[in-house]
Amino acid sequence: MEYLLPTLREKREVDSLIRDTIDKVLVLRFGLSSDSVCLQLDDLYKSAKDVSRFATVALVDVDSPEIQVYLKYFDITFVPSTIFFFNAHHMKMDSGSADHTKWIGTFQKKQDFVDVVEAIYRGAMKGKLIVSCPLPPERIPKFELLYKNV
Amino acid sequence: MNHEIMKKKKKKNDNGEEQQFEFCEVCKLNHNQGRRHIYFPAHKSSLSALLTRLQSKLSDVKPFLKTPMLLPAEHAQQNRLWCVFCNRDVIELDTPFACGKAIEHLASGEHYKRVKGFLWKHGGGTHRADSFRVVEGDFKKWEKKCKAMKTEAAKAEAVGASNNIHNELNADYLNSFHENNTNSLDFNITNGVVVPLQSYTNEKVQVSCSVPYSASEAGSTSYDMRGRMQMVDAQCLKNSTGFMDNHLSSSSHVDYLSNGSQVQPGVKVFHGDSRSLNSMNLQKISYSSKEAIGGNVHTGATPPWFNSAEENEIMQKPELSNFVNSKAGKSSKLNPKRVGAAWAERRKLELELERRGEVITKDYDANWLPNFGGVWQSGTRRKSRKEFQVENKKSLEFDSQSESFVPLQPYISKRMRRDKSE
Repeated sequence: MEYLLPTLREKREVDSLIRDTIDKVLVLRFGLSSDSVCLQLDDLYKSAKDVSRFATVALVDVDSPEIQVYLKYFDITFVPSTIFFFNAHHMKMDSGSADHTKWIGTFQKKQDFVDVVEAIYRGAMKGKLIVSCPLPPERIPKFELLYKNV
Repeated sequence: MNHEIMKKKKKKNDNGEEQQFEFCEVCKLNHNQGRRHIYFPAHKSSLSALLTRLQSKLSDVKPFLKTPMLLPAEHAQQNRLWCVFCNRDVIELDTPFACGKAIEHLASGEHYKRVKGFLWKHGGGTHRADSFRVVEGDFKKWEKKCKAMKTEAAKAEAVGASNNIHNELNADYLNSFHENNTNSLDFNITNGVVVPLQSYTNEKVQVSCSVPYSASEAGSTSYDMRGRMQMVDAQCLKNSTGFMDNHLSSSSHVDYLSNGSQVQPGVKVFHGDSRSLNSMNLQKISYSSKEAIGGNVHTGATPPWFNSAEENEIMQKPELSNFVNSKAGKSSKLNPKRVGAAWAERRKLELELERRGEVITKDYDANWLPNFGGVWQSGTRRKSRKEFQVENKKSLEFDSQSESFVPLQPYISKRMRRDKSE
């Protein structure tokens, strides 16, 4: 499904997409087209059509030089990382891990992805900048967060 | 002695948890508490909720009990009442009166029994049974009023000319048919059926179409059909009541189904009659000469709906604006407290302006960064952005400084320099 979703390599493309997605959740996946986990995640994005009424999905290539500033800004170290925006505002999700600002890893099922996006949308419509994850902990990918390489 | 022992055993069962699991329909719950369950507060609250809901529905029906009203068939379809006690839907069929079936059901003895049983089982108070049914006296009064209404309506129809199709069929249509038709045709047209074609009865027409017919329609009908299989099928599908076909020939057979059962249109064998083509006795409609002057399709006149459209145009424009306003209203209904609402509104306006052509070349800074809350963020998000930008600048300055360093030169020792200068 990777080829059906827009892949962004330039910062201004990402910027314009963030700015132009109004009243819809913007799902930005930062990843590599060569990474297997990324590809698995991208395959799940075929449910992008199901959520198309309230969400837009786009892929951002992490290797591109212009995107590096975003990697620093969003503090992206693991790939794939998914960041959610709503009306150019960043949405956080508390999924039990230390990092609430992004979703790291893939989803186990298409429905999980849809549920997460729905939770974000509902929270955003209510005016909340942080929402809690609707998935049970066993389905949330675990990772260890490094703080300044500690 | 034995009897007492049995009683004790029974009591033990009641107190212990060895009771069988039962399903409480009110709480929608399986429990093994037996008769104790109905006294628990949870059950009591769900029961009271259920009964109040039912009461509100019944209170909708009660005004019709006092004053019966005629109801057109299309609206009747939408009215149905779910009787909780009997666990069935009461659909408004075959009754010209509003909530007719519901009232009949509520007045029935069976329903009363069930109400009492339900209240006993779920502990609602059997003295309240009367509030969930229609008392016999009230029901009889209602029936009388209905009859009175019917007779009044019948009188009105008989006297005046009405546009009722049923009446046409019953009165005028029949008469004209009898006049035009030289052959003796027996047919019986019942309410709700439009019969366009007639045919001779000479041919054996074997058509079997199972069609529901209302129990109230009695009597035999001999009715041959030709060339209206589609009509029959349509009528079968429409589930119209009171449509029967019977055939003269003994070999044909008809399936009669009782009211309310499924319709199965099945046309088996059909023989046509060529003679009947000529004798399609259609009723003539005569129109006044005024209409002829006005023009018709053949003379190329404008259709009547266009004429009325001119009048409606003035009406339409405010409607359109209302529609547009409602759409704009829809977006304002989007929670104004939602995330980034202000941004969204601003951006929408900008995009609209761009679309209209007034291109506002608002070139965003290449260093624009979206609103982001950092992982280890403390303070507002703006702060995190600023911090990042500050850090970025520092790192950039650092980079540039390193570039503008003194270009690397090979080391020249002091002695060599001294030697050079000398």
